[in-house]
Amino acid sequence: MKKIDLQQEGLEIKKACCYFCHQNCGVLVYVKDGKILHFEGDPDYPTNTGGLCCRGNVNLIHLDHPARVNYPLKRKGKRGAGEWERISWDQALTEIADRLAAIKAEFGAEAVATAGGTSRTDDWARRRFMNLFGSPNCFHNSHLCWIPTFMVETAIYGWSPFEIDLGLSRCIVLWGQNPGASTLPEMSGISALKEKGLKVIVIDPRYTETAAKADLWLPLRPGSDLALALAWIHVIIYEGLCDYDFIQENCVGFDELTAHVEQFTPEWAEPITWLSAEQIREGARMYAMNRPGNIQWGVAIDQQGKPAGAAMHARAILRAITGNLDCPGADLLTGPSQEFITDEEMELNEYLPEEQKAKQLGSDRFKLVTWPGYGRIAELTKKYWGKAPTAEWMCEAHPPTVYNAILTGKPYPVKALLVSATNPVNSYGESQKTLAALRAVDFLVTCDYWLTPCAMLSDYVLPIAGSFERPTITSTYGCSDFLLASQRAIQPLYERRTDFEFWRDLGIKLGQAEHWPWATLEDAYLYRLEPLGYGVESYDEFVEYYRFHFPERQYYKYKEKGGFATPSGKIELYSSVLEELGYPPLPPYIPPVENEIDHPEVAKEYPLVLTTGAGVMPFHHSEHFQIKELRFLRHEPQMEINPRTAKEYGIEEGDWVWIETRRGRIKQKAHLTEGISPGVVFTQRGWWYPERDMRDPELGGCLESNTNVLTSTVLEDCDPLSGTWANRGLLCKVYKVQDGAKEGNK
Amino acid sequence: MARYALVIDSRRCIGCHSCTVACRVHNELPIDMIYNPVTTVGPKGVFPHVRMMHIPLLCMHCDNPPCVDACPTGASQQRPDGIVWVDQNKCVGCKACVMACPYGARVSNKETGTVQKCDFCMERVEDGLLPFCVKTCHQKARIFGDLDDKDSDVFKLVNKEPSIRLLAELGTEPQVYYIYSWEV
Amino acid sequence: MKHHEEGWGWMLAVDFFFAGMGGAMLLIAGVLDLLPGEAGTSLLGNICGPLFISLGACFLILELGRPFQAWRVFMNPKAILTIGAWTMTLAIGFGFIYASFGLDVFPWSKMVGLRKLCAVICIITGLIVATYPGILLGRHKSRPFWNGPGMMVLFLLSSLVTGGAAHLLSAYLFTSSLAGNIAGLNLTVALLLAFQFLVWLVYLWVKISGTTTREAVAARRWLNGEFAAPFKYGFLLAGTLVPFILLFFEQRGLTMVAACLVLIGGFIMRNLVVSSGNIDRTWLPGELDYRSRLPLGDEEFLRAWNNK
Repeated sequence: MKKIDLQQEGLEIKKACCYFCHQNCGVLVYVKDGKILHFEGDPDYPTNTGGLCCRGNVNLIHLDHPARVNYPLKRKGKRGAGEWERISWDQALTEIADRLAAIKAEFGAEAVATAGGTSRTDDWARRRFMNLFGSPNCFHNSHLCWIPTFMVETAIYGWSPFEIDLGLSRCIVLWGQNPGASTLPEMSGISALKEKGLKVIVIDPRYTETAAKADLWLPLRPGSDLALALAWIHVIIYEGLCDYDFIQENCVGFDELTAHVEQFTPEWAEPITWLSAEQIREGARMYAMNRPGNIQWGVAIDQQGKPAGAAMHARAILRAITGNLDCPGADLLTGPSQEFITDEEMELNEYLPEEQKAKQLGSDRFKLVTWPGYGRIAELTKKYWGKAPTAEWMCEAHPPTVYNAILTGKPYPVKALLVSATNPVNSYGESQKTLAALRAVDFLVTCDYWLTPCAMLSDYVLPIAGSFERPTITSTYGCSDFLLASQRAIQPLYERRTDFEFWRDLGIKLGQAEHWPWATLEDAYLYRLEPLGYGVESYDEFVEYYRFHFPERQYYKYKEKGGFATPSGKIELYSSVLEELGYPPLPPYIPPVENEIDHPEVAKEYPLVLTTGAGVMPFHHSEHFQIKELRFLRHEPQMEINPRTAKEYGIEEGDWVWIETRRGRIKQKAHLTEGISPGVVFTQRGWWYPERDMRDPELGGCLESNTNVLTSTVLEDCDPLSGTWANRGLLCKVYKVQDGAKEGNK
Repeated sequence: MARYALVIDSRRCIGCHSCTVACRVHNELPIDMIYNPVTTVGPKGVFPHVRMMHIPLLCMHCDNPPCVDACPTGASQQRPDGIVWVDQNKCVGCKACVMACPYGARVSNKETGTVQKCDFCMERVEDGLLPFCVKTCHQKARIFGDLDDKDSDVFKLVNKEPSIRLLAELGTEPQVYYIYSWEV
Repeated sequence: MKHHEEGWGWMLAVDFFFAGMGGAMLLIAGVLDLLPGEAGTSLLGNICGPLFISLGACFLILELGRPFQAWRVFMNPKAILTIGAWTMTLAIGFGFIYASFGLDVFPWSKMVGLRKLCAVICIITGLIVATYPGILLGRHKSRPFWNGPGMMVLFLLSSLVTGGAAHLLSAYLFTSSLAGNIAGLNLTVALLLAFQFLVWLVYLWVKISGTTTREAVAARRWLNGEFAAPFKYGFLLAGTLVPFILLFFEQRGLTMVAACLVLIGGFIMRNLVVSSGNIDRTWLPGELDYRSRLPLGDEEFLRAWNNK
């Protein structure tokens, strides 16, 4: 290794962040003459305290990887043929703007939709563009990740208590969350507090990195979380473990709840959850009797499809009846920031006409995270907090419905799709349908780092600035009362630009110039920070001198504010907001989307239970398969199966196996482990093979091992509240791959 | 004189492979060269009564290093502060050390023809910095320091917590100490 | 499950084979010379001794990652390899000098005292060259199949039988009946083969019933695993038992066949022993699973994006 003199003259230390997941771990980047010489985790950054995960360490490899997209590309020849013409940004933006304007003129603004991925963008800019353009059809796969949880919880107690006061807690429930593989700073905190006596309960079908450290591991049947949550409520109420004073003062609907959950005994839940009644009681008691305690959010419930909304509701009730809300050590209702300008305030939602809001795809059926529910909740939170949750994320078109509209023209045609920071074939549900929609849509534009399968099918591909090339404000999807700020270490390489610049410049081409006063992302960020009153001249100055803003922690905000941001001003165990929207006001029991009890005929053909979607180091979602330093660690997709089940099917360690559901089949390599229940199968997410032929129809083998081929997006399987589709708790079968056959991307 | 050592707290390690990658990337190692593997032991037992532990491996910087004795060229050396390293100019790639090391800590580089290994990032240590693998560990599962310094964390951990050393029965006197979450 | 093995290649086994054989040839030639009566070893045999050691040294050098830096292996007197390198050099030198006494063109060819002195040096250096690889391997505490003093005995025996066979072969090339001390070599080699057979059985039995399961696992590879066929049929049967019987006939043709079989057997055995040390390391907890999951090196993703 070449030794780098970190004291040399002209060397600047930039306070940047890693941009490979929304933890945004702090990084110190050593820059000289616009070139990065070295980087390390920032020891003063409050979350990662100097640490970096394996992805964080490949920042420089990612920055200038030979496969990166560096210039605007315009398709030559057939879609998917992989023939590109390098064009200027101006030409690209002009042509895209012209095409969008033409589509709007002929089919209406709603015929233009945009798809996003996880928080790796400044999506307030995207929403700002779309609101001004007039289309309500923005969406992410955020349905699978926290957003429905946020909205259900906000319906019940006026904000989502995602800020956990772990330092003073006595018990944490990690419900379908594996910080040991997905949020390393959190895991570090948990380990440290566990040494001081924090009880850790892990609810997960898999014996994860985190479960291995837990005091109690509850390996429930995938998709049965709702039954477990209802049984916990039953135990806590019927064993008298509630915080009655808190309930008395702050909750409505407790009597109705008590009557409602009488039937949901642990014995009732036993055959559904595959846990013993004793295990269920033990968990409920541990949580209820070690107060204050936390229930940490995990994606597991968001990804269950039909029972998801009710499960979130039940989980929210657990916090309320134990009084684990907004007190020291519990889950805090911080509300949105009162000090800086939030994402929502940057979105210009008021510019989207009501008649366009009404056209949002999926909003007729799934009302909670679309304009009907979001509108109602925004009204309540604005009244109480003065601000609303971020619409980009919390108020979205229903992705499967959009893809369906592309394919069928119903309820109206969608002609253009602008894709930003996502690889939809691998990250949205039922990949076959998503892929068909991407092939079918008239006009496809992708903003990305790589030529993903989706980018390969696009008319235009735009090179996006990534980690170290962009400033970043981290504020939990725009919903936290704190923020962490990072600067760019260098200007973007080649002709890359931030997604903010894409939306801004496209907006200007389409006549939105007056609404885009900021020339750079730093200018926009400075505008957002100014109300904090630090008196800084530039955004970089804020980063260099302050970097964070954490308001003083305030407990019991509801006492001072006279209640909660709900119609009654109380915690609504019996939810009037859900009732207004036409949903059950108390969480009903809804079985897993596919299950052996209610669908014996399906279970006969598909006898195993499938869980998908969990994060596995060293990848993130469908990313990093090009990075050899990471790929080397796990170079093939791996499914997990219990050795006893494997034996039944003649499967041995390292065999390639087909995993098949009613939607389709994929192949992954078998890993036999006692860390998963007999009868349960886990498949890794995201897999595609960027090293292969990327042209259509091969498209990098994007269906071959892609777990989303197995998931279900049929409307009946989606959560009626949020529309989230079913990644977990599905029925499948497995069998050995007999020949080396690759699965075509038909 | 210092005596550098590493304590690995398996109770905290989650097997995220950050150390593996940090080491490889910052030391600019070839793609297939790993100084710092992190293994997974388990899940052992029968579902649901299982347990699992991650064990990061690396050069043990033994007090009695068989690799140094095996080296016919004198390229493999041990410094007074205990760090075992390979002088790349002197190494001829005979792999005697590869075979002699009980810990699989030595790897040959096909391009240079020499054998390489973890040197505790000695250039960083000389500058008062931590080895990359230690610096990058989110979980603070790797604790690096000077055993001769009674105020150091490594000294305290080694002397207060029950720790084990891998293959200590071979007499190599390894200087990487493991605090296990359970008996393997 | 397959995994990438880090260790010595086949060329080192070839070195062990040739150097061991060559060393033993020096040793045998020296001993036969010092015994009363004519030694009877052939000039070819005496030349082949140092020649084989040189050949072994060549393979050793080729096995190095940086062959042109080979001179550096003489630098660490504490390392067995360094001792081996020095001894091989001496053995090659004195071996050729000893052989030169068989050529009348050299003025010293009639100086018997000097030749006897040379024979003594050949015996010492030959013995070390024939033995040290076994000592080297035996000291590897984390290679369960090698570890222990047994490997020294096995390697010395193999060197002796192959060296003896090579001498017999060289001698019989030019004559139909042996004269001098070498005439006793047929039976000596036969007895050594019998001993080798027994020692191998004892060695495997000790390993299998030994103190660690790692040793047992490694030894079972020789009886039931992937080494079983070449070991049992190639080495034990064809390379040891058959020549043992053939040598009793003390007949030129049969002895030459036997000698060839012994050489082949020795070659097979050295290769198996070297790979056994590579494969069976003392694995650390979870290590084998970890390594089995890594790519082998020919995967498509490793070749992608290399040219830009």
